[in-house]
Amino acid sequence: MTTSPFMTMNNIDKSFNGVSVLKKVTFHVAQGEIHALLGENGAGKSTLMNILGGVHPFDNGSIQINGEEVKITNPRAAQEYGISFIHQELNVVSDLRVYENMFLGSEIRTRYGFLKVDEMCQKTNEILAKLGVDIDPKEYVRNLETSYKQLIEISKALLHKSKLIIMDEPTTSLADHEVKRLFGLMNNLKQSGVSIIYISHKLKEIKEVCDRYTVLRDGELVGNGSMEEENLDTITKLMVGKSISQERLIQKHTFGSEVLEVNNLSSPGSFSNISFTLKKGEIAGFTGLAGDGRTELFESLFGYRKTYTGDIKINNQLTKIDHPRKAVKAGLGLVPKDRKENAIIKDLSVIHNMSLSSIGHFERMAFIQDKLEKERFQYYKEKLNIKVHNPRVTIDKLSGGNQQKVIIAKWLEVDTDIIIFDNPTQGIDIGAKQEIYHQIVSLAEQGKAVVILSSEAPEILKICHQIYVMFQGEITASFKGEEVTEDEIMSYATGSKREANEIG
Amino acid sequence: MADTNSLKEQKPQISPIKGKLSWLWSEYSVIIAFIIIFIAASVLSPRFLDMNNQLNILMQVSIIGIVALGMTIVMLSGGIDLSVGSVLVLVGVVTVLALNATGSIWIAVLTAFIVGSIAGFLNGIMVAKGRIASFIATLGMMAAARSIALYIAEGGSISGEVSGFTAIANNNLWIFDYPIIIFLIMTVLVYILMHKTRFGRHVYAIGSNEKAALLSAIRVDRIKIGVYSLAGLLVSIAAIIETSRLNSISSSSSGVQYELDAIAAVIIGGTRMTGGRGKIIGTFFGVLILGILNNMMNLMNVSPHLQGFVKGLIIIIAVVFQKRE
Repeated sequence: MTTSPFMTMNNIDKSFNGVSVLKKVTFHVAQGEIHALLGENGAGKSTLMNILGGVHPFDNGSIQINGEEVKITNPRAAQEYGISFIHQELNVVSDLRVYENMFLGSEIRTRYGFLKVDEMCQKTNEILAKLGVDIDPKEYVRNLETSYKQLIEISKALLHKSKLIIMDEPTTSLADHEVKRLFGLMNNLKQSGVSIIYISHKLKEIKEVCDRYTVLRDGELVGNGSMEEENLDTITKLMVGKSISQERLIQKHTFGSEVLEVNNLSSPGSFSNISFTLKKGEIAGFTGLAGDGRTELFESLFGYRKTYTGDIKINNQLTKIDHPRKAVKAGLGLVPKDRKENAIIKDLSVIHNMSLSSIGHFERMAFIQDKLEKERFQYYKEKLNIKVHNPRVTIDKLSGGNQQKVIIAKWLEVDTDIIIFDNPTQGIDIGAKQEIYHQIVSLAEQGKAVVILSSEAPEILKICHQIYVMFQGEITASFKGEEVTEDEIMSYATGSKREANEIG
Repeated sequence: MADTNSLKEQKPQISPIKGKLSWLWSEYSVIIAFIIIFIAASVLSPRFLDMNNQLNILMQVSIIGIVALGMTIVMLSGGIDLSVGSVLVLVGVVTVLALNATGSIWIAVLTAFIVGSIAGFLNGIMVAKGRIASFIATLGMMAAARSIALYIAEGGSISGEVSGFTAIANNNLWIFDYPIIIFLIMTVLVYILMHKTRFGRHVYAIGSNEKAALLSAIRVDRIKIGVYSLAGLLVSIAAIIETSRLNSISSSSSGVQYELDAIAAVIIGGTRMTGGRGKIIGTFFGVLILGILNNMMNLMNVSPHLQGFVKGLIIIIAVVFQKRE
């Protein structure tokens, strides 16, 4: 498999404002390999890739492509050297057609400046055929699934004859079957001699698709090698600097009284006939593929969506919830998914984000007391190990894991009996993930009722007492946490199996 | 008086991170710009620093200043209010009618507050409940309010017939005319409201990320209605001053382009068009910058027809500088 290195970064140093973020990092990518770049948030992966993509200059070191030293001063130069960067947030324009997106910025025109639509469509078709997919170049991108949008980015890279494609967490927003499709595609690309740098937190995926790996920790190279020779534990250890258990985190313990009872909740097009109960101290997990309706279900329960039918009983009282405010009053809290869109207020400071939903706790005579807020934040900073020097900076300056901890602190401060976590560890590194799991478990031990929504079965298996699997808006199975395997969950989540009897 | 105390407490909150120049610039660019323009003005015209001239500037900006405070709140919430000038006229006309009909200044002032708040409340209902873009909703209000004012006053001016009414805008306390004092008090009150109360916090949150604000259990609709109502109330205060100053209001020519001046002051003050970011203090200095520019051009005998050009230039320069962060 080993061929000559296509791209080499030698002894790269980089510091921002005197803080060293990369220290003598060396990184090779061979031709036609899929190379995993691993490390926790803040390890320096993005900085390294931004240097390669021409976004940031480096302080010391050199970059070679095909053995020749190159200077990549801007993203355009990177593209000319055959390097394409596919960011986590996809840069496709939903309101344009597929071919228009493909040729955005490099449209083929006649000499009078008119567009050559047929030629562009034809070229689009050629590339899409090469990737083994069948979409109409004239389809609007907004009508496509997310994985196809990713595909358009990849096709764009191929259109520019890229030799090296950097993919930053490409599977975050993909459902399992879409991930499969992406991996197939990556393998095709590999066969045709294209190299891929693959950044992800999902080690299982990496094992499945990558040939080699490089691990960074705190800006330093801590290991690299061939994927086949290494097991995941060793790599995890390299990433976090300590070993992390994959065992279930929860103990068997007795639950308290019933706090939540949901009966026949339905919302046309999203979910139907949902019934379940939740007790104090219980952690219930809801899992399934993307689009299984679990997010819509709990957004309805939380009053964000209003068009549903069915009964919700909280503490044995029938409750009508049509606004999040009422949900909070009734004792529900929600840590939403997609932190950036749904949870953080990026222009508010870290402290103000923490206090946003419980401002009454910090008021005296109708005025907010900065001191009280600050003291309270200090408490959560220690309790949740939030890493921030100055909590008055806006929250978008923090890493994903720390942002999530602030949001969790926000809901701990509200102190509701029931807390719903939707995809609580999305885009968070392993160390912070563990911390969040422990927090969730300790919440349950304190007598809170917890609901976890996640598409990652291992996560659900790790921390849930009761697991509900959803498929196309219905609960298709429910298990005790310790009595089920990942494979079983998957067979219900994909709809290949279905529990015959009604779940009580 | 608890208000002044909490204002003092606020002061140290701004300065603990002192240090980097870039930070100073990004936080206080409008104050720095103000100082530069102030110094330039005093060099260019010796009469500029004259105490009477300084007070004159403050007097001239007080009406737009009060309107701009309301505009800042609206824009922080992610909206815009184009109706301020027209609502000002409508409030002025109705206030004079009430004044003349009842002979009571208090009833006139109360009427003004009610009409202004109702107009703002309607804007808020359209934006929050009707889900109409604020630009469109307030554009409609702008046309409608002006039209009603013209209809009531039959296209002309109407004047007050109660002698004490002009005192509001024309009397003074020591050397300060009442409008200046009202403007300063309003600035302090709005500052406290936006930075020390939950209402202010919620407005920022909604302007920055409405969905996250709703999911944080904030009553987004109510806050928005409150924002527009408050802007309307501030407009009515400005309307009282405007009407009282000359003891009359013209349904056709008063309040014209006030929305543009107010928006300009807010933008120069560093508030982001899309909301969530900006400061009341910024707007205060934005208003002063516009006032000094107008004053300078008058002192230097620049044609009034060219003053709009200079104003336009300043707005664009201000936005260009803010983009750099």
